[in-house]
Amino acid sequence: MMQIYKIDANTVQVICCPPEDVNRGDYLLVEDVNSEKSLIIQVINSGYVNVPGILEDILRSSSTEKLEGVDLDPLEMKSFVNIIKDAELFTCKIRGALNKGKVSNDVSWIPPRSTSRLRKLPDADLIKLLENEPQNGLDIGTLKGGGRISININSIDGKLNIITGKKGTGKSHLSKLLLIQLVSKGGICIVFDINGEYINLGYTKSEGRTSLYDRFISLTPGSDFKVTLQYAGLGVFLRVMENILDLPATSAWEFRRIWKDLKERGALTLNNLNSAIRAVSNNYIQDALLRRFESLINTKFFTDDWGEATVLEAVMDKMDKGGALIINLRNINSKFRQIVVEFLLSKLSQLLENWGLKAVFLFAEEAHLYLRETYWNDIVTRMRHLGMFTTFITNQPDSIRKSVYRQADNIFLFNFTNEHDLEIVSRAAMIDVETVNIIARQLPPHYCLMLGKVLNNFPLIVRINSLKEKTMGETRLFFSDLKIKKS
Amino acid sequence: MQVLDFSQKSPYNFVELGNASLKNTIESSHRLRNIDLPTNYVGDFNKLNEHEFIANFDGENLDMIKLAYIDEKAHIFGLDTSSIELGETSNGLLCAVRGTIVWKDEVKYNYTRYGPFIFHVTENNKQFLYNKLRQMYFGASRAAPTPDVWCMPGRIRNILERWLQAQLSQSCEDSVILWDGSLTAWTIDSPVTLIDDMLRMARSRGNVVLAFSKKTKFTIFGRRIADLINNRNAPCLLDLDEIIRRQYGNYLCFFGRVYAAKLTPSQFSFRLDVDREIERETGINAVQKLISNDIVVESYPETLRLAHILSRFSASEIIGMQRLIAENFGIRTVFRPNIRQILFGPYGGGLINNKVIS
Repeated sequence: MMQIYKIDANTVQVICCPPEDVNRGDYLLVEDVNSEKSLIIQVINSGYVNVPGILEDILRSSSTEKLEGVDLDPLEMKSFVNIIKDAELFTCKIRGALNKGKVSNDVSWIPPRSTSRLRKLPDADLIKLLENEPQNGLDIGTLKGGGRISININSIDGKLNIITGKKGTGKSHLSKLLLIQLVSKGGICIVFDINGEYINLGYTKSEGRTSLYDRFISLTPGSDFKVTLQYAGLGVFLRVMENILDLPATSAWEFRRIWKDLKERGALTLNNLNSAIRAVSNNYIQDALLRRFESLINTKFFTDDWGEATVLEAVMDKMDKGGALIINLRNINSKFRQIVVEFLLSKLSQLLENWGLKAVFLFAEEAHLYLRETYWNDIVTRMRHLGMFTTFITNQPDSIRKSVYRQADNIFLFNFTNEHDLEIVSRAAMIDVETVNIIARQLPPHYCLMLGKVLNNFPLIVRINSLKEKTMGETRLFFSDLKIKKS
Repeated sequence: MQVLDFSQKSPYNFVELGNASLKNTIESSHRLRNIDLPTNYVGDFNKLNEHEFIANFDGENLDMIKLAYIDEKAHIFGLDTSSIELGETSNGLLCAVRGTIVWKDEVKYNYTRYGPFIFHVTENNKQFLYNKLRQMYFGASRAAPTPDVWCMPGRIRNILERWLQAQLSQSCEDSVILWDGSLTAWTIDSPVTLIDDMLRMARSRGNVVLAFSKKTKFTIFGRRIADLINNRNAPCLLDLDEIIRRQYGNYLCFFGRVYAAKLTPSQFSFRLDVDREIERETGINAVQKLISNDIVVESYPETLRLAHILSRFSASEIIGMQRLIAENFGIRTVFRPNIRQILFGPYGGGLINNKVIS
């Protein structure tokens, strides 16, 4: 039986005696039997009721710990006392209300303590409240009770998402799951794959091909992903030179002149560009340009051969029924990563502006490793309006700017134990600090606290579905062979 | 030395009568005639009502007995009981009693705990309950006057305690048996025979009964007895028997030789009664066995301390029993407003919460 103990602002304390199968994260319904209104509350913490004399009991049992004995308890009173001792106190947060069966945000009233009826919301009722429609959504996981949770595609479409949690908790797993489901629904996705763990999503764990095999295109910059100077364009090239390779403004002006001249003559090739730079009379400018140009050439990302060059529009055309372009950034140095991302973001912006692309879902793992400062705000504002819907995936919540958190529509929060990380997430997340601090700390691997529009603003703990695809996200182990032999 | 399994013995009638009282199935035809009694009536060794003795002596030297630790193995048995009011009902009160026997063998402490036994005592059933229990456990054939309903928890507890004492007397051999309280009784009360029987039974099996009283206070010429013994080296006994008996022998029945006991160097000393019918030296030797075989802290034996701890009811147990009664017997305790609190509020003094538990 559950009863209201206290209500203070947004916090409701509930006493549960005898204990029921209610866990942190579960939802309770506080029904006012005199009206058709109910409060929807979520258990964020649980503990024992401070029963009078419990301290005495504990001390007494410690005094008699070493005793051996028999209790002739004909009435079996002990079981009743244990019920009292185990009485639980739930700290809950008000998440909404039900008014005549409809979800409402009006929580300005409080239910009567004496007559309210409390019950755990079964999965089926909760899913109904979330307006969860499995048939149209992305099937991503289950509730503790086994109820299937699917994300309404509209809550992802056009939205900014953050997936965060400490290492090994299942962030990338969720990201891959979302990616696969979006692709299967016809979405176009681009992944900045920092660890090369998305490149085999077209394969099953047994190395067979999945039904979506053809929809995954993996490109490795400098290898099967090269672009011509003409395709990259002066703007991208200059931004790379200036922002990533720190080309001084004077030298940039000279480079612009050289580029335009070669382009006008129809002679914009790497060789000609090299020669033109070497012909610059000012030694300082020549040296500055040459060093940067050579470092770009060394990446092998630029080519004069249209045959081996990649044209993004052509790649996108292949994904007209949905697909994912995986940019494999593994084993690529930091500057090169930034160059590739700079190029891609510029090109994608152009494509979106020109309606060459309707919209694209961008999955950015550990974006702080390659995303230029000025791009953060651009991604969450301008690019978002153009149709680039980003999902940031990180285990360093402080690497994402506060402004990005504030703009986020959905946060998928995995386990964090570090105080500092929790503080950052809780400050920025869209719910109260207490919920984040308590629930995120206790989430087991592959369990995620979902916050935001994705579940109709009801924070929910969801166990993420497993994948049948080959994920390659596992860390390589030195002693893995030994482990296999043993098992 | 054999230690019997006490868990094989159970006061079944406590269960049956308790359940009957809760189910309200005790017929009015069972009721005995109601007799009003003064509330300060002291019955069968009610230890809650142990009186303060004021002993006068004319400069006599009190006999100080120095105790020694001896290398003689002995089993130490102790027992204690407790009662608690669980709340009021519309026509009476609910109470629970529990008792524990604790014993120490050469290695460890053991216990058997009896209860709780829960009773619903009303004006209608109190006489039947009390006399039925007395009849069943003491073999008392004559109906005894019953006290006020509020005194009944203590009376039922006393019966349980006497039953446990009898079990120990009949079961133990060559042991030291510790009672909580004293071996003094008002001569007017019938259980005197019972106590006599129990002590005789214990003696016949080579046991010595020692009774420790925490509550009795002796004053001699205005000085507390503790002051007389505090300066002495522990362990020791102070023989007060002659002085006390000289003054109170006409009113009280002393089944024990009365001592003040200081068993460890501490600020506490207790009244200790040793079965009078055994030889004085045997009694003193039993105390020496006690201090040599049991742990004694602050002059009080661990066996008795554990029996007390195990018998006492905690607040959570009280709530648990109230729940049991409500669920199994459908009896709800009622709340009676605290008149004192209502009238005087914070200026009422004394306990804010009365005994009624709602």
